Amino acid sequence: MTPLYEIRSVSYRYKLDGQHIQALSGISLNVCQGEFLALAGPSGSGKTTLLNVLGLLDRPGEGAVLFEGENVSRLSERERTLLRRERIGFIFQNFNLIPTLTAHENVEYFLLKRKTGRIEARARVLRALEAVGIAAQANQWPNSMSGGQRQRVAIARALVRQPQVVLADEPTASLDQSTGLAVIELMKRLNREQGMTCIFSTHDPKIIAAADRVVHLTDGRVIE
Amino acid sequence: MRHFALHIELALRNVFRNRRRSLYALATIAMGALGLFTFMGFNHGLMRQYRDNTIRARWGYGQLYVAGYRGKAHTRPWEMWVENPQDVMNTLRNLPGIVDLFPRLTVNAILTAGELSIAGQGEGIDGIAEARFFDQLNYIEGSDFKDRRDGIVLGQGLARGLGVHVGDEVVLVTQDSKMKTRSVKVAVTGVFHTGSQEFDSRAFRLPIKLAQSLLETDRVESIAVALSSDDGWPAFAAAAKKALPELEAIPFDELDRIYYRHAVDWLDAQFRFIRSVILLVVFLGIFNVISMTVMERTTEIGALRANGESRLAVFCGMELEAAALGLLGGLLGLLAGWALSTGPLSAGIPMPPAPGITRSFRIFIELGFADALEVLGLCGLTSVFGCILPVWRGARMPIAQALRHV
Repeated sequence: MTPLYEIRSVSYRYKLDGQHIQALSGISLNVCQGEFLALAGPSGSGKTTLLNVLGLLDRPGEGAVLFEGENVSRLSERERTLLRRERIGFIFQNFNLIPTLTAHENVEYFLLKRKTGRIEARARVLRALEAVGIAAQANQWPNSMSGGQRQRVAIARALVRQPQVVLADEPTASLDQSTGLAVIELMKRLNREQGMTCIFSTHDPKIIAAADRVVHLTDGRVIE
Repeated sequence: MRHFALHIELALRNVFRNRRRSLYALATIAMGALGLFTFMGFNHGLMRQYRDNTIRARWGYGQLYVAGYRGKAHTRPWEMWVENPQDVMNTLRNLPGIVDLFPRLTVNAILTAGELSIAGQGEGIDGIAEARFFDQLNYIEGSDFKDRRDGIVLGQGLARGLGVHVGDEVVLVTQDSKMKTRSVKVAVTGVFHTGSQEFDSRAFRLPIKLAQSLLETDRVESIAVALSSDDGWPAFAAAAKKALPELEAIPFDELDRIYYRHAVDWLDAQFRFIRSVILLVVFLGIFNVISMTVMERTTEIGALRANGESRLAVFCGMELEAAALGLLGGLLGLLAGWALSTGPLSAGIPMPPAPGITRSFRIFIELGFADALEVLGLCGLTSVFGCILPVWRGARMPIAQALRHV
């Protein structure tokens, strides 16, 4: 079976205040379809950078990332955008919902942009909001919702497009522990029910415990 | 089409829901639009005052001459004056738009008062008819001679040179068409000035009958025309050419090319410059507001890009918002301009005397539909162009960096 992701000797370096920081050092890793994978490690260990590389938000400096056997590291900007649009969903630590759109509109936005008909989009949005248990708050503004509710909207936004993989960068970091656990349980349920691969980063041991597989990172290296 | 409508809908939704941000942008654009629209209205009002003053001070809407007479030197000019002026005027009175006609005849004469003599160039006019229309001649003393047969009005410089005032007598000495010297005693009824020192130091006006008798002619040199509408000249000139092909009709801005045309061109150039400055200020204001908006929305742009929005889609979406802001702001500015001109400024703006005019006057803001469209278009375009750079910079920012933005 071809892994969903094959990460081959990926390194990534960036410049901060005139100094070169080695964020990832020769990481190699395979991720299979349907996995519920946690990237664990302390702050600065390279979790976010690795998720950015997997999500095609950044290009690796060295090495290659294969997505379903295709080397996506060298794709053009347009091809990367298309791949993100069709196959990858994101959940961010700070939710990154659009503040001028209601919960329903936030989830609906990218469907409409993908030329999904309004009636179909509405039905899918409703299903996604119901799946994350927030249909009753569909018409609320993000600013009037709790952190847990906002993260649920963000999850619904990622799910509604039915991506192959959902990448979540510290999805519980802005939430209290019980809400964080509820959110991760929700993600796990959706992973099981819908079969989508889920890769999330965290440094919280209780959240890590929910993962099927854990990849530990330290100083940009994998310690399995 | 449906996709474009969706983009418009999303852009408008963002404009109306980002109230604080939109308010800053709308205020900037509306102030610019208000300034520009009111300035254009002021410009039109000023130009109209200047035009009306020029028409009603001296030239009428235009004048008729025998074709080939004007602008050339003639050894026997009186032979190229208008024959049978009454018949000609009767024909002209049947043409479209005519309100009044004013026959005129130039008289070159020596004016003598006591022991002082000055050469002058006068104009014989129909005092009663001219008083009905030419109400903008700047009298600094007395008034026109109306039906007085021996009255004369003098230019300010000429009156000063002769040392005469209203009520004083002046002797005119001239030569008629047969080179015979003729003289007549006239009474000063008024002293005027036009703003041109050179003209005022030799100009005078006298009754046309008196001028004709001094020059021993029954012809007139020209016929000035008063029309019922400002836009009536082309139709009148065409009809006059058809009815009286031996005459040529010359509009007032051609007759007064040196002062009126040049002044209008000069003012236009100034106004264009000021308009550019206003537009630049609006442009910088919009650039500033949009730059701040883009900075505030950096993480939003990052989230959009991460979720598969292309740079172009982000760019177009924000450009559409900018266009919507520009048009809405422009519309608000136009409404404010209209409210200002029909409210506090409805009585006009008091102005000091303009060059060539002795009295102060009021300029009325004249707002036009074409100006409104132009202002609206400029606001939309300025907004779109003003945000190209900041939006493009935002859309090109690496996604991971945009998402980290605080």
